[in-house]
Order: sequence, then structure tokens, then C-alpha cells
Amino acid sequence: MPFDADKFIEKSVSAMRATVGAGKAIIGVSGGADSSVAAVLSARALGKNILCVFVDTGLMRQDEAAKVKASLSKCGVELKVVDAGEEFFSALAGLSEPEEKRKAIGERFIRVFEREAKSFGAKYLVQGTIAPDWIESGSGLRATIKSHHNVGGLPKKMGMEVVEPLHELYKDEVRHVGAALKLPVEVYNRQPFPGPGLAVRIIGEVTSERAEIVRAACAIAEEEMETAAKGGKMALPWQYFAVLLPVKTVGVLGDARAYGHTIAVRAVESMDGMTAKACAVPPEVLERISDRITRELKEHVNRVVYDVTSKPPGTIEWE
Amino acid sequence: MFVSIVDFGSQWTHRIHRTLTYLDVESKIIPVSTPFSEIRKSDALIISGGALRIGIGGAEQTGSTKEYLEKFEGPILGICAGQQFIGLHFGGKAQPAAGPEYGKVELIIDDKDELFAGLPDKFTVWASHNDEVVGTPGFSILAHSKACSNHAFKSNLRPIYGCLFHPEVEHSEHGSEIYANFLRIAKR
Repeated sequence: MPFDADKFIEKSVSAMRATVGAGKAIIGVSGGADSSVAAVLSARALGKNILCVFVDTGLMRQDEAAKVKASLSKCGVELKVVDAGEEFFSALAGLSEPEEKRKAIGERFIRVFEREAKSFGAKYLVQGTIAPDWIESGSGLRATIKSHHNVGGLPKKMGMEVVEPLHELYKDEVRHVGAALKLPVEVYNRQPFPGPGLAVRIIGEVTSERAEIVRAACAIAEEEMETAAKGGKMALPWQYFAVLLPVKTVGVLGDARAYGHTIAVRAVESMDGMTAKACAVPPEVLERISDRITRELKEHVNRVVYDVTSKPPGTIEWE
Repeated sequence: MFVSIVDFGSQWTHRIHRTLTYLDVESKIIPVSTPFSEIRKSDALIISGGALRIGIGGAEQTGSTKEYLEKFEGPILGICAGQQFIGLHFGGKAQPAAGPEYGKVELIIDDKDELFAGLPDKFTVWASHNDEVVGTPGFSILAHSKACSNHAFKSNLRPIYGCLFHPEVEHSEHGSEIYANFLRIAKR
């Protein structure tokens, strides 16, 4: 039988009540479909005993904190925004190996949540973990593909018990739950965004300057593909973004030599994130993305490439 | 109907569980350390894929699976590393593939009697394999691709099947029909 969202909601609300009881919990909300759905479920199960925390890591999408706060307040969920950018950048300084980056981020998240849990008096941490997160994090015979910050990236010692209502679901099922909970469609249909944020879209070391470049490039790629999709030129991809590569190449800008960074654009179609296919984005859309990125970021970027790899062998995000 | 899914550690083991759930069949993912007595009553057995290199040492990490293959009398379906383990167990050679495949593969069906009943002669499936299994005595080939001579096989003696590709992933065409065909065999 296909997935029954109403039955799932009923079961998970009562399971959460049974676990947390009269205690208190906090939940980390990134504004993506998973954590938003988990937040609304938690609010339904625990009422005033849940605190929803949005951690601004400095590695979020453009204007993210304000957007997420506004869209979640439509769902009756009030967010506490914690500005932790400096903390994350200093934890990431000098790291370029993807797993080290992911683990540093996972640990930082937990330290922020521990502080919030302590002041709220919570013993439980609710997370929007879904099946691909723990699958890809590996365990036993299962290889670690990438340590998701909310599973493989968790520090060994932490002072909270983790509750994961969406543990068995894939993204498409989470969206059914979002629809059944009557969340705004732009919340539950939003494209996935990685937990470690833009850090995994910056290949090599993460600095605030490099975060600014990839954030702007992502915004351009998103905007152009959304416009093209609205105009009927392409279907909106399942996930679409830009990656900053640690590769400098030679270019020519206004008759002068340039030597700048490379941006890779990726757009895939998928249903559950476990397999994916690169989208056949119309050449004129790619051209427009390239033109805008190289003009608007001309101090930094003079080359744009498109990633045509499926998953497998690639993964959707580059790290 | 109840199916045990033996977990060789695939990225897609849980997708097998989901595919069966959507087909209204109850299933449980079990580690390879599970004693045979606990799975004996299952109606069918599915062995997942995984990163294990079956032909080059990986077979030693498969716990009780050898015992399942010897003692379980119901239908068995192996996927990817699971298929290779079945082939190796029954006398075939598991080895690095002449043509490894990742992602899209055109599958050409050679036998439409059971696993591929009612499906087209050719369709797209997704694979992710470094290795393959060849020359299993008493097994017939059911499907192949341009790069790989054994994409699916079955035993001529027992209801044992194997697919090297992954019918449980969304991008494989007719994947859930292949599982439904296998479950139909299990119901007989």
C-alpha cells in the first residue's frame, strides 16, 4: 500500500508524546522540508514544551533566516534564531577534507543545541533525520558515503536524547506528510538543502569570503532555473545549485587577463535522493546562468561548468 | 506474507523494504548475524547488495548467509552483491567485472518466464557494481547488458534468483513489477 500520511501523523504524534512525556524538547529547524515537517509534528505532539531553534551558521542560503521565520510562522511555529556564524567559521578554519568538515559542523550544531536545551530545560533533541541521512552515514556493513551532520556527524558525548520522527521516510513521503499537515506548499515542496549548508558546496577550506561567492552563485542558479521553469522552458529540477571549486583558470575580461575561480552548476531529477539523473537544462538557461555569474561575481569567477553525472556514480552534493 | 531482507549493507537495502511495503508485503531488514532459526518461517528471502567485494574476500563477512542458502526452502532473491554471493556459493566465479556499470544500464531480457514476466524485451535499469559473477553451474541467465553477460539468473533446481542491477531504485523501470513477480513465485 502506498504511504498513508494521516496514519503516519497519528502514530508519530503519539510516539513522540510517549517518549517525551511531560518533559521538554528542542528541535533544530533549518527551514527545509524535513525539519519544518518535524517541527510542526513536534508542536502538535508537545505543544508549549517544544522550542524550535534555527541556527544561522553563516552557511545558509541568501536571506534564509528571515524567509524561514516568516514561512514557519504561517504554520504556527515560532522560531528562535541563534546567530552562530563566527563559531562555525572558526571550527571550520583549516579543514578541507569533506568528512572532517561535516564532523566539525555536526559537533558545532550539538554544542549550540545543548546551550539552548539547557536554558529551556529540555532533555530531548528532535531532529528531522530521514532515511537517506542514516543510510549514507553508514554503520556495520554499510559504507559511510558521507557523515550527515545529524547522524554520523554527531559528537560521541552529548547531553540530550535524540528523537527522530521521520527516521524511516524518504523526501517524497515527508512531502506527503507536509501536505497532510497543511503546511504551505512552498515549505514542503522546497528543494533539499544540505544540513552542513554551503560548507559542502565549497570544495576545500570554508571561509566567509568563499561562502559569499557560492551563496551568490547559488542564488543566481536558483533564480534562473526557477524563472525558466515558470516560463515553461524546463521542468523545475528536484535539486539545483552551484558549487565553488578550488580550481583557478585563465580567462579574459575586457581585454585583460583574468585568473579566477570556477563554479560548477548542478541540477538533478530524483524522487528520494537515493538515485538521481542530471537534468537536460536548456543551453540558453545554462548560458544565462554563466553570463550572470561571471558578470555579477567578476572579481572572483571567470568560468562556469555544468555537472552531467548521475547518482551513482556521483552523489547529488559534491561533498 | 512475510519477507526477511538480509542486509549486506547496500545504500538501497531500505529501498527494498519500501518497495515491498508499497506492494503490501510485510518485511524486516535483518543483519547477517541473525540465526537461521529466526528467519526459517519467512515466506521468502531477499539478500541485498552492498559494498562487499564477494569474489575478493567479502564473502567472509556474510555471517550466516551461507546457512540460509543451504537450509531455506522458500524462494530467494539476491541483489547485486547478494546475487554474486549466491553464484559463488553454488560454484560460480565472483570476480571484478569486465565492464563495471554505475547508473543507467540498458537491460536485455533473455527469459521472460518468471522474474521478467509481462515486461518488455529491453528496458532501463540502474546498476552500481564493480564485480560480477559468471559460470554458475545449474543456473540459467535471464538478462544481460552490453557490458555484462549475467545481469539476472535463476537456479534450474530451486526457486533461487539473482539480479546484478537494482530493481528497488526509483530510476529502474519496472522495478516494482520485478519484485511483484518474485513475490508471486513466493505465493505459489
